[in-house]
Amino acid sequence: MAVIRMAFRYVRNEIFVLPTRVIAVLFVILLILLPLLTQDMYILRILAIAAIFSIYAASWDLLSGFVGQVSFGHALFFGVAAYTTALLNLRLGLSPVITIPLGAFAAVLVGLLVGIPCLRLKGPYLGLATLAFPIMLMGIIFVFPGFFGGELGISGITRLASSRLTEYYIAVVCMLVLCFIMWKITDSKIGIIFHAIREDEIAVRASGINTIKYKLLAFCLSGFFAGLAGGLYTHFLRIAGPSMLAVLMSFQAIIWAIFGGIVTIYGAVVGVFILYPTLEILRATAEYRMLIFALIVLLVLRVMPQGITTFTRDKLERECPRCKVRNTVTRKNCRVCSSDMR
Amino acid sequence: MKSKLFPFLVLLMILFLIGGIVGCTPTDGEDVVPPEEEEEEGVEFDGEIKIAVTGPMTNIQGEMMWWGALMAADEINAAGGVAVGDEMYSVRLIQVETDEIMDPLGAVSAVENVIVSEDPDFLIGGFRTEAVTPYTDLIARDYNKIFIICGAATNELLHGRVDVDYDAWKYLFRVTPIRSTDLVTVTILMLNDVAMAVREELGIAAPKVAILAEALEWNEALVQMAPQIFPTLGLEFVGTFRPSATASDVTTELRGIEATGAHIIYTIMSGPVGIPFGKQWGELEIPACPVGINVEAQKSGYYPATDGFGDYDCTLNTFAQNAAITEHTIPFISKFVDLYGQLPNYNADTYSAVYILKEAVERAGTIDTDSVIAELEVTDYTGAAGRVVFDEAHDVIWGPGYVTAVGIQWQDGELVAAWPLEWKPDAQNAPDLVIGYEGVVPYQIPPHVLEQWRE
Amino acid sequence: MRGLPGLIHHPGNRREELAMLSDILVYGLMNGAVYAMLAIGFSLIFGAARIINLAHTAFFMLAAYAIFYFGSELAINPFIAIPLSIILVVLVGVVVYYVFMEPIREHETAVLIVTVAVALVFQELILIIFGGHYRGVSSIVAGYISPYGIRISYQYLLTLGVVSLSLFIVWLILMKTRLGIAIRSSAQDREIANLMGMNVAKIAAATMAISVGLAAVAGVMVAPLYTLEPHMWLNPLVLVLAIVILGGLGSIKGSFIGALILAFIEVTVVFLIPGGAFLKVAIALAIMLTILIIRPEGLFGVYMEGER
Repeated sequence: MAVIRMAFRYVRNEIFVLPTRVIAVLFVILLILLPLLTQDMYILRILAIAAIFSIYAASWDLLSGFVGQVSFGHALFFGVAAYTTALLNLRLGLSPVITIPLGAFAAVLVGLLVGIPCLRLKGPYLGLATLAFPIMLMGIIFVFPGFFGGELGISGITRLASSRLTEYYIAVVCMLVLCFIMWKITDSKIGIIFHAIREDEIAVRASGINTIKYKLLAFCLSGFFAGLAGGLYTHFLRIAGPSMLAVLMSFQAIIWAIFGGIVTIYGAVVGVFILYPTLEILRATAEYRMLIFALIVLLVLRVMPQGITTFTRDKLERECPRCKVRNTVTRKNCRVCSSDMR
Repeated sequence: MKSKLFPFLVLLMILFLIGGIVGCTPTDGEDVVPPEEEEEEGVEFDGEIKIAVTGPMTNIQGEMMWWGALMAADEINAAGGVAVGDEMYSVRLIQVETDEIMDPLGAVSAVENVIVSEDPDFLIGGFRTEAVTPYTDLIARDYNKIFIICGAATNELLHGRVDVDYDAWKYLFRVTPIRSTDLVTVTILMLNDVAMAVREELGIAAPKVAILAEALEWNEALVQMAPQIFPTLGLEFVGTFRPSATASDVTTELRGIEATGAHIIYTIMSGPVGIPFGKQWGELEIPACPVGINVEAQKSGYYPATDGFGDYDCTLNTFAQNAAITEHTIPFISKFVDLYGQLPNYNADTYSAVYILKEAVERAGTIDTDSVIAELEVTDYTGAAGRVVFDEAHDVIWGPGYVTAVGIQWQDGELVAAWPLEWKPDAQNAPDLVIGYEGVVPYQIPPHVLEQWRE
Repeated sequence: MRGLPGLIHHPGNRREELAMLSDILVYGLMNGAVYAMLAIGFSLIFGAARIINLAHTAFFMLAAYAIFYFGSELAINPFIAIPLSIILVVLVGVVVYYVFMEPIREHETAVLIVTVAVALVFQELILIIFGGHYRGVSSIVAGYISPYGIRISYQYLLTLGVVSLSLFIVWLILMKTRLGIAIRSSAQDREIANLMGMNVAKIAAATMAISVGLAAVAGVMVAPLYTLEPHMWLNPLVLVLAIVILGGLGSIKGSFIGALILAFIEVTVVFLIPGGAFLKVAIALAIMLTILIIRPEGLFGVYMEGER
């Protein structure tokens, strides 16, 4: 009984006090219970892919939003992991349980390789230089078409799980767990240093912190999570193809994350879960699909340039001027320190 | 907020105005709206057969697939429908925009969407291999539905699948085009014809050949083999140039080819690079005859797109207006041009695919998948592109007496067939077997090439 | 597997070597001029407004389609169609700047995505209006000249001429006019420029007009040389981004030299490794990265670390 009462109190005091937390909890519950409402294969597919892309977009946010290293070549991590996963599965017959982590590991190595030469670069130079890597890798794929399959990609891969429902749960659970980990990382000491590097790198270095080490760490972490997404996606679609390295693939991560709101992690998730299904619903409009999509992005960002989550949060909640705790807009006094909210 | 809203409302209006003005202006009859499928008055059907056409519908390939299928469906419905047992079924087409050129992996979702929401009985189409590979996987293995490929030529879509694991992949067939290795065989035969012309008219005993092949996997084996094949045809190999399939400028490559002293450019291009190639080759009067595959040169739009400079380019094709491959060819092309204002390309043979499905269903007397597959396997259908018979991998058989494809050349702005004129498929064993379709004209060496080598 | 060494072209003799060298020089210069047009425009707006305008090459595409529409579809005289296309595209550029970029300029990342979305809108509008067909535009003057055995089409020469002229005009504007001084000063330090009483927003809009104008001129001139298709903005965009960071962000001279370097690398790759011609962009990018590692701020970049 006591446990239940404690849990209830926690829920009442920590979740019900803030509308955004309620929305987040409802979203998670809905995702988990959704198969009870519908078993439509198409809906499950779209949401599973959205979950996988959420990891990818959030990993971009981790590197670009938090550390401020706007990466234009994020598809590199996704693609490297996808190809590694596919090759390991096809050539060595390893199961997805092994290939996906190994693929992510490969992405980490690539993150290091990219990070080291790029360490001398700063600001926009770094981000723009990263654009070059996926294109160079794509060149390599077409130099060795026998090994990488050229434009055909690598197909004939084991599926993620035997049924779509299991695949859905794998994707959703991975998304929830990995995004939670990313969120926790950004909340930790490392995360604070990441923040600081973005705000003022000179000041961080002046405080005796090795910023190079932390930037490399950011590249590796981001590569790891993007790599997991790449591996999951490959096994879900049963193909690794060169379009995973295309410029548009890199741009997609940026669009999702910024649309949702950067420097939040959950913003990336919201961005994907809004935009990806929207794009699918817009299939009904045939050739106007991408146009309407682009206009939606354009207009939403015009009204909410800080991203949809940040905008909504600021509309629903206010920060207490004294203790910096967030409160619902309707409150007159802070829920923690009771100071006047106006 | 209000003051900020105003400017972008203005912009929206401007955008729509521009769109409206340009959109309403007729553009040379190119964007002919396909006639809506109309229910024939008085004809009562007992049911319908739903066929989904999957392709990049905003691109020419998808349009061609749709038009070909639409023409067949309208004809079938007008003639009373498909006899399934004692009942008459109508054919209903479902258009699936896969957007596979821009977003190949997203195409799988589009296909699954149509399967789940419309439950089509059969699917046809498929253009870009990177998209078709995963969605054929989905159609065959997850949904056990019949899919007839009408666009992707890659061997591996069927070979190594249907012939290896029949039960998993038996649902897949291909009607058009012939598979990529056969495409290559035809281009080598065409190359031989061009080489003969070069020998005769330019007096060059061993013409030099440079390869201009887009950097894609499907032509990889050929690019490796070609230097060994050329000497057997009495040709000298002088070099390989591999631009990207999407290159927009190949001037440097063309200059490089000219520097090798080549008389013939053996082209292997399926991508948009074919257009800058034709244009720059003609404008700079590069003194070498192009022959091979240039998918862009198979379309009516090639001549205007290259500003007329692509004249005399020579490429493999499925149809040509002047070549009576079978007695159905010319009527099919004429009707197609009448309806849609463009020459059909190989994707338009969805027309045959729909008829092949109709005949298989009629023979089976049911639309049950396994029975239809059994009947499809014994298909022997003579259509506009030739006689369609499937091999053990469910692939359309290429060869004399089957589908052969044709070689076309642009001559004075007209797309005409130039191969097979007098093709002897087996000169040793059957010297009398000569294949040549009615109406095929001889290959012409481009005048500027002739001029430059005669000096 | 396609081993690279086997594909390298070995010129037979000295004469062939010389011919190749002159080819490389001529084609490198011509491609470089077009790249420079695009890169300088991109660099200008980055300098003046700190906007990474990913829609930059989409304006280039818009101009190419405008000339196709006016010149080929409506058959308007090119001497009217060209200025008309350029003016129209510049107008669209300025409107897009005022409506979508200026109000949210403080949110740099949002501007970034807005520019991508604008490019996508252009791409889709073109796709809907003109379809996904590949289109060609007639050259203003057809034919070619062949000095020393090199073949150069008149259109290329004309493009080179127009590009040089436009770059000269831009140089005059930047160096000799009050507006130019304002643009350069706000590129150096936006805040101080603002404090000195300059209307940085207006300056940015003027820069946007010049920048889009350069892209539009490049578009109308190059349209007869390239194939028109709704995705033709993506490949040049990659090159432009590579050029501006190679040359140094915000540096006009850097963009110009960066453009020439990348163009020469590309052309050299095609001539020396014809079997690897498709690698020209990848190799150019690899060399760009190498140079960047040696000179992290690009060839002529301003070191912007202190900027907040």
